[in-house]
Amino acid sequence: MNNLCADIGYRSLIKHGEQLCGDHIDVIEQEDGSQVIVLADGLGSGVKACILSTLTSKIISTMTAAGISLDECVNTIAGTLPVCSVRGVAYSTFTIIRLVNNETAEIICYDNPEVILLREGKNVEIPTTELNIGGKKILQSKIDLCENDVFIALSDGVIHAGVGMKLNFGWLRKDVIEYMEDLVDVGFTAKTLTTILTDHCNELYGGEPGDDTTVCTVKIRKREPMNLLIGPPVDRNDCNKMMSLFFSKEGKHIVCGGSTSTIAAEYLQKPIKPSLDFYDPEIPPTAEIEGVDLVTEGVITINKVLKYAQNYLEDNESYTQWSYKKDGASQIARLLFEEATDINFYVGRAINPAHQNPNLPINFNIKMQLVSELAECLKKMGKKIKVSYF
Amino acid sequence: MKITVCIGSSCHLKGSRQVVEKLQALIAQNNLSDKIELSGTFCMSNCQKGVCVTLDGQVYSLAPDTTESFFETEVLPKF
Repeated sequence: MNNLCADIGYRSLIKHGEQLCGDHIDVIEQEDGSQVIVLADGLGSGVKACILSTLTSKIISTMTAAGISLDECVNTIAGTLPVCSVRGVAYSTFTIIRLVNNETAEIICYDNPEVILLREGKNVEIPTTELNIGGKKILQSKIDLCENDVFIALSDGVIHAGVGMKLNFGWLRKDVIEYMEDLVDVGFTAKTLTTILTDHCNELYGGEPGDDTTVCTVKIRKREPMNLLIGPPVDRNDCNKMMSLFFSKEGKHIVCGGSTSTIAAEYLQKPIKPSLDFYDPEIPPTAEIEGVDLVTEGVITINKVLKYAQNYLEDNESYTQWSYKKDGASQIARLLFEEATDINFYVGRAINPAHQNPNLPINFNIKMQLVSELAECLKKMGKKIKVSYF
Repeated sequence: MKITVCIGSSCHLKGSRQVVEKLQALIAQNNLSDKIELSGTFCMSNCQKGVCVTLDGQVYSLAPDTTESFFETEVLPKF
């Protein structure tokens, strides 16, 4: 194992007028730690396409996860899927990316646009071999991973965007490559790159996608640990233990909460310097302690971070807020969503008597709930999370 | 003279931002920017009495609508 990990982000646009998406993405982790990503595009659109693509991706991901060979997977798919009564064919196209030990990527592509690889910000054509399995032409490739590699898997809705509307022939794979080459160096996460690309497709379609459009981005990056401390320990005698565990951890350190930061400052024997800049009227100002990367207020800030996290997992539209703003919540969002891959939460369970006031919209249970919900969201973003209570 | 306003969770919810903004405006109006140092602090462990403000070591309990009278009765006479 090396020090790399995969940041995976995907999003689909549903064909205008349909309620279900005919593209389907599955990401599963195998027992040996390798990850399998399947993007299936069902024939047609709506319910039928949705069933075809869901079946296909589930069959592939479940079978490959069990270590069954590709031949068998493809044969199973050909034998299992119902035949379309209109077209007389029974399949959905698919792309499989398997990341083995974060060292190599195995890519299998059947009739989808070929996977794009951007290395050092430039397009690299992945060497492929053509296989013939059961009369189906399948492209297979294997490539060693480097830090900052960006793989982009597409459904054909992406390269058909704008056909006959804003563009005569849609934008081609090479146009997608050109568009993305300008963006990968900025340091966006996989999810953000995906959002930017699908938003652009939607725009080319004039807001009414003519086909299901799916993008899945896989960014290979270094592991980045991050530590977040919130709340004083129940037993104040545990302060030193909690602080020494927290500060001995590798990676950046975030301290949330007024009393919590006072304890941290005492431990470090450094003064707290609070600021009075209200960048966002809802969020209390941040502070500085030498030796801590970010000091913020507690529950109100974390509540906002949770809202951003929930939105990140949906349409990610609040990205336009937290990606640049200077308030505490936006800063935490950038550190947790973009920078971190492994996050350690140190949660103190002391009860703040002031928060027990029924007139205030916060209480102890909410605080504990906020942390566990946030941890859940971050897990869904593909982060490794550890929560320790004190 | 030093005025410190608590910007912890409870005080924030009780309006410490408005208190800070009012004090900033009042200080500017009275041309006292070079004489008064306005700063923030995290929790002063007196949350029930928020918004907590200290003036030269003495603790006051303010609200956005009492800020102006506090400034007139406690701050201005000292100049």
